[in-house]
Amino acid sequence: MRDFLELVVSATASGCVYALVALAYLLMTRPTGIINFAVGEWAMVGAFGGFLLLSRFPIPYPVAIGLVLLGMFVVGGLTERLTVRPLVEAGAPPLAPILALLGMLVVFRELISVSFGPDPQPVPPAFGFGRLELGLLAGSHQSFFIIAVTAVVFTGVWYFFERTLAGKSFEAVAIDRRAAALMGINLRLVTALAFCAGGAVAGLAGLLVSPNVSAHYLMGLPLAIQGFTALVIGGVGRVEGALLGGLILAFVEQFTVRYAPVPPGLAMGVPLVLLIGFLLLRPTGLLLAREARA
Amino acid sequence: MKALAGYLLAALVLSALAFVLGSYQTDVYRKLLLWITLALGYNFLFGIAGQVAFSHFAFYGIGAYAILILLFQVGLPLPLAILVGIAVCVVLSLLVAIPATRLEGFYLALATLAFAQLFVVVLNEGRSITGGTGGLANYRLPDVLGVRITGPWYTVVIVLLMLGTLALLWRLDKSWFGRACRAVRDDAQAAQAMGVNVARTKIIAYAITSALAGVAGMVYAFVDNTVSPVTFGLENVFQLLFMVIVGGSGRHAGAIVGAVLLYLLPVFLSPLIGHHHALVFGLVMVAVVLFQPKGLIGIWDYWVARWRAA
Repeated sequence: MRDFLELVVSATASGCVYALVALAYLLMTRPTGIINFAVGEWAMVGAFGGFLLLSRFPIPYPVAIGLVLLGMFVVGGLTERLTVRPLVEAGAPPLAPILALLGMLVVFRELISVSFGPDPQPVPPAFGFGRLELGLLAGSHQSFFIIAVTAVVFTGVWYFFERTLAGKSFEAVAIDRRAAALMGINLRLVTALAFCAGGAVAGLAGLLVSPNVSAHYLMGLPLAIQGFTALVIGGVGRVEGALLGGLILAFVEQFTVRYAPVPPGLAMGVPLVLLIGFLLLRPTGLLLAREARA
Repeated sequence: MKALAGYLLAALVLSALAFVLGSYQTDVYRKLLLWITLALGYNFLFGIAGQVAFSHFAFYGIGAYAILILLFQVGLPLPLAILVGIAVCVVLSLLVAIPATRLEGFYLALATLAFAQLFVVVLNEGRSITGGTGGLANYRLPDVLGVRITGPWYTVVIVLLMLGTLALLWRLDKSWFGRACRAVRDDAQAAQAMGVNVARTKIIAYAITSALAGVAGMVYAFVDNTVSPVTFGLENVFQLLFMVIVGGSGRHAGAIVGAVLLYLLPVFLSPLIGHHHALVFGLVMVAVVLFQPKGLIGIWDYWVARWRAA
C-alpha cells in the first residue's frame, strides 16, 4: 500500500511535467494551428537557466524562477518574431512554420551543447532533497512542489481562458481566425503572446523536472514527444485535456514499469502503443473543444 | 532510349569511381549513395505525395534486420530472402498505412513517429533474434552464383540500387500515379472530385516508398556487416526530412542535392570546427525554409530561367 501510494505521488509529479509541456503546445497550437516541436528544447533551455541561476551563480529560488519565466517568455517571443511571423505574413503553406521550428529545435539544442558541453549539469530542487509525508502520501519535496506549481499554473490558465476578456479573444481566434480578426482582435499580438506564454510554460516544465534528470542538451526531444502524447490523449481543444492527458500517460508509464509482467525495456513501448491507439480510435482526444456558439 | 543511355553512363561513371577510392573514402561514398537512395524515396513520400511520415528509417531498419534474420536464422537462400523481406516491408507498411491514412497532417506524423520508436524498442528487446542493443554482427554476404561480391564490386551494387530507385521513382512520378499523388497533396477534395481514389493513392505511395527503403536497408546490412538499433533511431529521420527540404521538396534533383550537401557537410566541417557543424546544419535548415522555400534547387531553376530569357 505504501509502495503504491508513493508511486501515485511520483507518477502525479511526472504527469504534471508532461501536462505543462502539453499546455505549452496547446497555448501555441490553439490560436495558430502550429505544432511547435521545439517546446522540448525550450524546456531544456529553462533547465539550463536553472543551472546558471541556482548552481553556478546561486540566487534565491523565487528570484531564479521569475527570471527563468521572464527569459523564456522573451525566447518564445523572439522565436515567433524571427521564424513564424515572416512565414505567416508571406502566406506560406501551414507546414512551413512547423518545419522552420523543427530547424530551430536543432539550433537551440546545438547552441546549448556548444556553450555548456555534453555533460549533464546539476540543478538543485526548490526545497532540498528531503522527503515529505502527508498522512499516507509520501514523496520527495520536489514532487509535491511540482504538483503545487502545476495546479497554480493550470488554475491560472483556466481562469484566463474562461473568465477574462483577453482569454476569450484567444479562444475566438482559435475558433475562427478570420471572424476574430474582423471583430477587431489583433491576430499578430495574439500569436506573439501565444508563443511567449508557450515559452514560459515550457521553460517552467524544464526547470521543475531538471533536479530529477539533470540539465542535459539531449533532454528536449523525449519531453517534446511525451508532451505531445499527453496532448493527443487529452485533446488539443481544452486546457483541462492537457492535464488529464499528462496524468494518464505518466500513470500508464510508471504502473506498467512497476507492476506489469513485461521486461522494463518493453514497458517503454506501452506509452507508444497508447499513443497509436488514441490516434486511431479517438484522434480528437478525450475532451472535445467547445463549438462556436450561435 | 536517351534516358537509358543516360542511366548507363551514370552507372559507368559512378561505378568507375568505386575502383579509385581508398577505404575511408569508399565508406563515405557508399553511405552517401545510400542516403541519396533514402532521400529519393522520402522525397516521393513527403514532397510528391505530401505525407509527413517519420517511419522511413524504421523501414530501412526492417529491411536490414529482415534479410539477416531470413538468411541466417530461417536459412532461406538469398533470392528468396530478398523477396520475403520485401513482402514483410509491404505488409508492415500496409498495416501502418491503412489505418493511418484516416489521419490528417501531423497526426500521421505522430503515428509513424510512435511506430518508428516502437521498432527501436522491439529491436532492443528482441533477445537473440535481433541481438538486443548490440545488434547483429559476424556475418557476410552469401556467394551469388558461386561469386563473392566484395570491395568495389559491392559499391557497384549500391550504385545500381540508387539508380534503380531513381529510375523507378522517375517513371512513377511521370505516370498517372505521380500526377494523382501531386493532386492529392495539393487538394485532396479536388482530387477526389476528379475521380482520384484518395485513400488508395496515399496507401500505395506509402507502401512503395517504404518497400524501397526496406530494399535499401537490405543492401545496407552488408555495408558495415553489422546492424544495431542506434542506426535506426529518430535523429536520422529528421536528417532525411531536412535533406529533402534543403534540396527542394518534390524534385528528384533536389533530394540528391540535399542528401549530398547535408551528408558531406559534417564530413568536411567536423575537422574544421568540431561539433559546431550541427549548429550550422540547423541554421541552414531555418534559413532555407525562411528565404528559399523551394530549396536550393530553386536557386538553380531561377538562374536557368534567367539564362533562357536572356
